[in-house]
Amino acid sequence: MAEPASSRLLSLEGIHKHFGGIVAVDGVDFDLGHGEVHALVGENGAGKSTLMKVAVGFHQPDEGRVEVDGEPVAFRSTRDAEAAGIAIIPQELDQFPHLSVAENLAVGRARPRRRWGGIDWDALAETARRQLGELGLDLDVTAPLGLLSAANRQVVAIARALAGDARVVVMDEPTAALSERETERLFAIITDLSSRGVGVVYISHRLEEVFRIADRITVLRDGHHVRTATTSELDTDELVRLMVGRPLGEQVPRSDRSVGDTALELRGLTRAGAFADIDLVLRRGEVLGLAGLIGAGRTEVAQAMFGVAPADSGDILLDGEAVSIRSPEEAMRRGIAYVPEERRSQGLVLPFSIRANISLSSLERLSRGGLINRRAERELAERSATALAIRGAELGAPAAHLSGGNQQKVVLSKALAREPGILLFDEPTRGVDVGAKAEIARLIDRLAADGNAVLVISSELEEVLALADRVAVMREGRVVGELAGTEATQERVMALATGSAKPDDEAAPAQAQP
Amino acid sequence: MTRERLLGREAVLLGVLVVVMLGMSLLSDQFLTLGNLLRTSRFFVEIGLIALGMTLVIITAGIDLSVGSALALVSVTIGFSYAAGAPLALAILLGLLVGLAGGCFNGVMVTRLDLHPLVVTLGTFALFRGLAFGVSDADAVSTYPEWFAYFGQFYLGPVPGQLFVFIAAITAVWLLLARTRFGRYVYAIGANEEAARFSGVPVRRVKVTIYTITGALVALAAVIYTSRVSSARADFGQGLELDVIAAVVLGGASIRGGVGTIPGTVLGVLTIAVLRNGLQLAGVATTWQLFLLGVLLIAAVFVNEFFRRRDA
Repeated sequence: MAEPASSRLLSLEGIHKHFGGIVAVDGVDFDLGHGEVHALVGENGAGKSTLMKVAVGFHQPDEGRVEVDGEPVAFRSTRDAEAAGIAIIPQELDQFPHLSVAENLAVGRARPRRRWGGIDWDALAETARRQLGELGLDLDVTAPLGLLSAANRQVVAIARALAGDARVVVMDEPTAALSERETERLFAIITDLSSRGVGVVYISHRLEEVFRIADRITVLRDGHHVRTATTSELDTDELVRLMVGRPLGEQVPRSDRSVGDTALELRGLTRAGAFADIDLVLRRGEVLGLAGLIGAGRTEVAQAMFGVAPADSGDILLDGEAVSIRSPEEAMRRGIAYVPEERRSQGLVLPFSIRANISLSSLERLSRGGLINRRAERELAERSATALAIRGAELGAPAAHLSGGNQQKVVLSKALAREPGILLFDEPTRGVDVGAKAEIARLIDRLAADGNAVLVISSELEEVLALADRVAVMREGRVVGELAGTEATQERVMALATGSAKPDDEAAPAQAQP
Repeated sequence: MTRERLLGREAVLLGVLVVVMLGMSLLSDQFLTLGNLLRTSRFFVEIGLIALGMTLVIITAGIDLSVGSALALVSVTIGFSYAAGAPLALAILLGLLVGLAGGCFNGVMVTRLDLHPLVVTLGTFALFRGLAFGVSDADAVSTYPEWFAYFGQFYLGPVPGQLFVFIAAITAVWLLLARTRFGRYVYAIGANEEAARFSGVPVRRVKVTIYTITGALVALAAVIYTSRVSSARADFGQGLELDVIAAVVLGGASIRGGVGTIPGTVLGVLTIAVLRNGLQLAGVATTWQLFLLGVLLIAAVFVNEFFRRRDA
């Protein structure tokens, strides 16, 4: 199937890696040719990231060999690997938001010096401009990186990876934070890289992307190599079957929902610099999708409803009555739950046990006179774990030990434990494997069918359209349109989100976001 | 939630305590006598009481540098309001209120103004002590009614009375931290304040309460201290925060937050008490005691980091 390993750019043979008692990667082979885009897919916890961290020297393998151009190598650090032309763009970008773009590009690289040893800032900026220019990005390299959009930060990370004359670039979930338009630009960059002979390892949960961009696909499951095939040999169904080890129900089944009365209404909700004049209605037994590009203000609106960052003006009406929600605590007491987009920093207390995470929002009900009723707490956790099929660890183990999908189920369990009537989901399936994704979609469907009012924010349009009865589209802090039923197509939503279509009302057509 | 790991730490600390005690008994034959140990305990109940509050503060990734100054302020409040003619009971009540208010002030500054506790309590560190000096004009009040001696000089048989107060306080704070909703919130805030807030934990209220509890424990310690030395002065408790923080960190609490227990802190207090007393009996100068305390503190941080990495 492949050329002999000796002519390969990068080749991994029989890699084993375990952490404590958990085997993360168990005897996996993987190779990459010049100019090839090789996708690595599998559910969360399948060992994709671990395998690639071995390749770039972040982890050292317990067993197995890493070869570059047929020569065995033993990287002790990512720095060693970079010196050999192998760079990784990790899932969680390791950047410095307070430093300038140019400084970020120079981290860990030789910096141009002036005669007396000071840094030559002009040369540094010039180099940075050239590096970004090669990727088709023109921006102020002296600005702090933190001011950039997620997509541009991603491009900066790619530019940095390539700056060391990288011949192999590993991208771990590069599109997780990107909108579709930004994803397109990333693909253009990848195509360009491969035409220059650079090998790209592409790790992603988004299978359509994989099919578009990859030359070959390798599937991992539970740390084992399942199959490597050229892309044309596979189709989506087959790939999903290989990933989960079982065939998967096609579409998210949509239960019969009977739309009820209004549970929550926003009237002219405004927070300066974040969103303005938001009018939305959440009805019982209905899923409202909230679509838009990254930075359009969707998360901010949801967090205003949840009291994280309250609005400056406008009204939130619960059952027709204006209420003031100044903290998450207050929102929860009023029956609103929010599943945040940042799972690890906002959703979970990682060192806490799974049980303590599930019960954290419900302790008032689980305690008497301030003392926690441990049995009631255990029972709640066990019920939730069964209901949502939380797999992978005992309930007494730290939540940090779970895979992404199971961690998300813990966050969902915590939110549902209070039996809220209004549920706000922010990117509920981001970074979650295919199996868990379907389970979460079914859960959301069932919650709506049971008469809850549900809001779903998602950057995956297909998901929003599959789940939602209505889709509101935001752009630049405003709701620019609402689509229902057959009106709601990917094309129309994208047109509204990017401003390439005239919104419903009289608003002037604005420039598309860069 | 992290019981096995903490047992590991506490076992290590218990071992250290035993070794230090054996070492001290070699240095001085008076050390390992019941009489000496009980007498010693009188001097460390104050540090111990404050360390209980400090444990809560440090678990939330905070710090309180003002405890020594607050102790002096409470002492001066009691002594000088009594000297000014207030009945002693009222003077004591006033002192307790001042301690409570001081702690509450720290908590409010930390939460409402979103300032780092290090900065806030460095400010009140100077503020409280300065107020004590101002009010007392650097003078002392040293005559009290006989009954005031009960708080710091009373013995039940060979056992000093304040030991009972300490044991009661240990039990109360241990229950609070290990068994209650409030205690769970304390750990959640320390481990991930943002996630705690998103989960509906009343972060500000919990923090203000923690600093207020610490203030109350400082006030209690100040009453015992003032009674024990039968004097109220503005220069009391200088450097006290060092002993307190050292005991808590020695007890396994992490300055990064999220980790720490009351049994650990109690062991830490005992270790420091034994070390100080033993060195005293062995004739080591106070100045060198401080040096050794520094060594111990740094060693404790090393051990904590070792455990943190092992568990990570």
